[in-house]
Amino acid sequence: MSETKITRKDALLYGGAAAGGLVVGGAAVAGVAVAVEGAKQAPAVEGEPIVARYVDGELPVTDPDAGAWSDAQRVLVPLVAQQIAQPYLDKAGVGELYARALHNGAEVALLLEWDDDSVDDLDGIRRYHDAVAVQLPTRSGSTPPALTMGSPGTPVHILQWRATWQRDIDSEGRTGVDQIYPAVVHDVMPDDVLPPETANLYWVGREAGNPLSQIKRSTPVEEVVAEGFGSATHLPNQTARGAGVNEDGRWRVIVAVPSERAGVGEALAPGTSWPVAFAVWLGSRENRGGRKHIANWQTLVIGAQR
Amino acid sequence: MAKVRNWQLGRDMEYPYAAARPKRQFTMIMDTNKCIACQSCTIACKSTWTWGKGQEFMLWNNIETKPFGFYPTGWDVNILELLGEQEWDGDVYAGQTVFEAAPEGERVLGWAPAEEDWSHPNIGEDEPTGNAEETTYVPETPHSMMWMYYLQRICNHCTYPACVAACPREAIYKRPEDGIVLVDQTRCRGYQECLTACPYKKTMFNLETRVSEKCIACYPKIEQGLQTQCTTSCIGRLRLTNFLSAPDKADPRKPADFLVHVRKIALPIYPQLGLEPNVYYIPPVHVPTKYLTQMFGPGVDEAIAMYRNAKDDPELLGLLMLFGSTERIMDTWDVRDGVARAYDEDGAEIVAVPLREPTFVRPFEFATEVAGEPVTGYRHNT
Repeated sequence: MSETKITRKDALLYGGAAAGGLVVGGAAVAGVAVAVEGAKQAPAVEGEPIVARYVDGELPVTDPDAGAWSDAQRVLVPLVAQQIAQPYLDKAGVGELYARALHNGAEVALLLEWDDDSVDDLDGIRRYHDAVAVQLPTRSGSTPPALTMGSPGTPVHILQWRATWQRDIDSEGRTGVDQIYPAVVHDVMPDDVLPPETANLYWVGREAGNPLSQIKRSTPVEEVVAEGFGSATHLPNQTARGAGVNEDGRWRVIVAVPSERAGVGEALAPGTSWPVAFAVWLGSRENRGGRKHIANWQTLVIGAQR
Repeated sequence: MAKVRNWQLGRDMEYPYAAARPKRQFTMIMDTNKCIACQSCTIACKSTWTWGKGQEFMLWNNIETKPFGFYPTGWDVNILELLGEQEWDGDVYAGQTVFEAAPEGERVLGWAPAEEDWSHPNIGEDEPTGNAEETTYVPETPHSMMWMYYLQRICNHCTYPACVAACPREAIYKRPEDGIVLVDQTRCRGYQECLTACPYKKTMFNLETRVSEKCIACYPKIEQGLQTQCTTSCIGRLRLTNFLSAPDKADPRKPADFLVHVRKIALPIYPQLGLEPNVYYIPPVHVPTKYLTQMFGPGVDEAIAMYRNAKDDPELLGLLMLFGSTERIMDTWDVRDGVARAYDEDGAEIVAVPLREPTFVRPFEFATEVAGEPVTGYRHNT
């Protein structure tokens, strides 16, 4: 894993723009093919658009090994430690993300891969999760929004996958105290002695309607809109889906969203081109919130529909 | 960073947000001398607010033995060590606060307790500072070498909270009506930045709802004019829930203003950290003042002298005796004819407490009648 650390704010904010001509700090890169270990890994290119190939029929949203993915071009996306807004990530733990994309006219899916030999899929005390996020503008235009999760008046649409939510779904139930501390012993809990409407008050976040606290989860991907750091707002209508798996020290995560983007922004229509940015969190390195790895804007091309 | 006035430091300081003092400020006064660490307050709090699944380790209120007790482990010594040695210049703090000493990329100088740090809430209980021989056989300095005391801890509902400063989502706020600091349960996304930033370590992460929680100062009770659960359950009657004014607006008729600003008998905890905490402690009279000055700032010797003099200070004595005498929040009090009385905001009397309880002495030997027969005996107290 290489480490790239960029602190120059303007390079991150404005360098590269939407065209994928990425020059950040000393890590100047051009379209160089990079061979990656492992049989499943196709060669990757860097500095080129991520082209979402058209697929006829259902997208392989839960299967990173599906054949359709191997036909999609892998693009290497450099990651740096977030050091624009406090709190900073003081040191990068992963230097690159690999992205590829597919679409079927109704849905756009991205397969994202990065090295992480520690699976962190429980939220506990000083215990944080692995995650990845995809950031898209809500509106088309020649200038991408601020990389810093948009800015007031120029929102971004973010799709975040968390390992914790994946575990919630994979274990067919919400994970919590019983999974963090398998030997835990309880005597009397509120729901043993109180009617549910009263007992539930002891899960205040859940009762208050915080989407992070909900016991039932149908997707490991959350859709939010934001107008700057700290402003992520859960969308009332959650349409994104996906799946993630960690094998051989590498996360492979699929994030998919309906092309329509109803109520969020302009459709990701065939033949259009979009700025796209990414963020990666390593739970084992206490990444959370703004303590994350970020990528500069790349270009996502929605391929023509055959 | 904004410049704000921190009266506990006697100077202005840097803080990420502009000063916005609440209409009135929730405060609690603790008389450390009366505590026996029975943990009635802890249980009252736990059984009211934090007995849900996901809150197993949470004690919004705890009592710890000082100097070797901590919850979480090492909370105060760790931040003191991080901050390094700092100086007071008389009543003016000449050192750096946790905001001023924040490293690059951080808003607050802090550290994150590990999960095991929350696992020993009663570590160090009753451990004194020395060996028994050192005290027992040195009669001329009976308390100089061995001491310990109990520290009562809730959230300090600080004027300049570090949790508020550190939250990247502005999910923690200070209520303008009473200064109570709360985590917005709909807005928190569980980053735990507040756990790292709060030097008192009084925000906690709920393992089931995956968001942070903290002492809410029993605000549903405060809104009804009632003192908190930890206050009203205290069998030592050492706590007072009240409201505190800034020094320039201090009203000597108000209990907390009188104790903090007039008699200066109650002192803030680790004021040098810069948060202007709003829980105040009457320091223990038997502990070396060097240690107490580190914990409570300047004014420890004067506070102890004031406390020792309380028997000759009816106004102060009366107020101390009103601690734990009513569930309701006192607005004012007075002492007349050997009786201390507390009043509500309308001036109506809430409770009256005599400064001295009447005493009756029974003779050692007595003679009386039982069923018409004369009986003599003597009193035997067992």
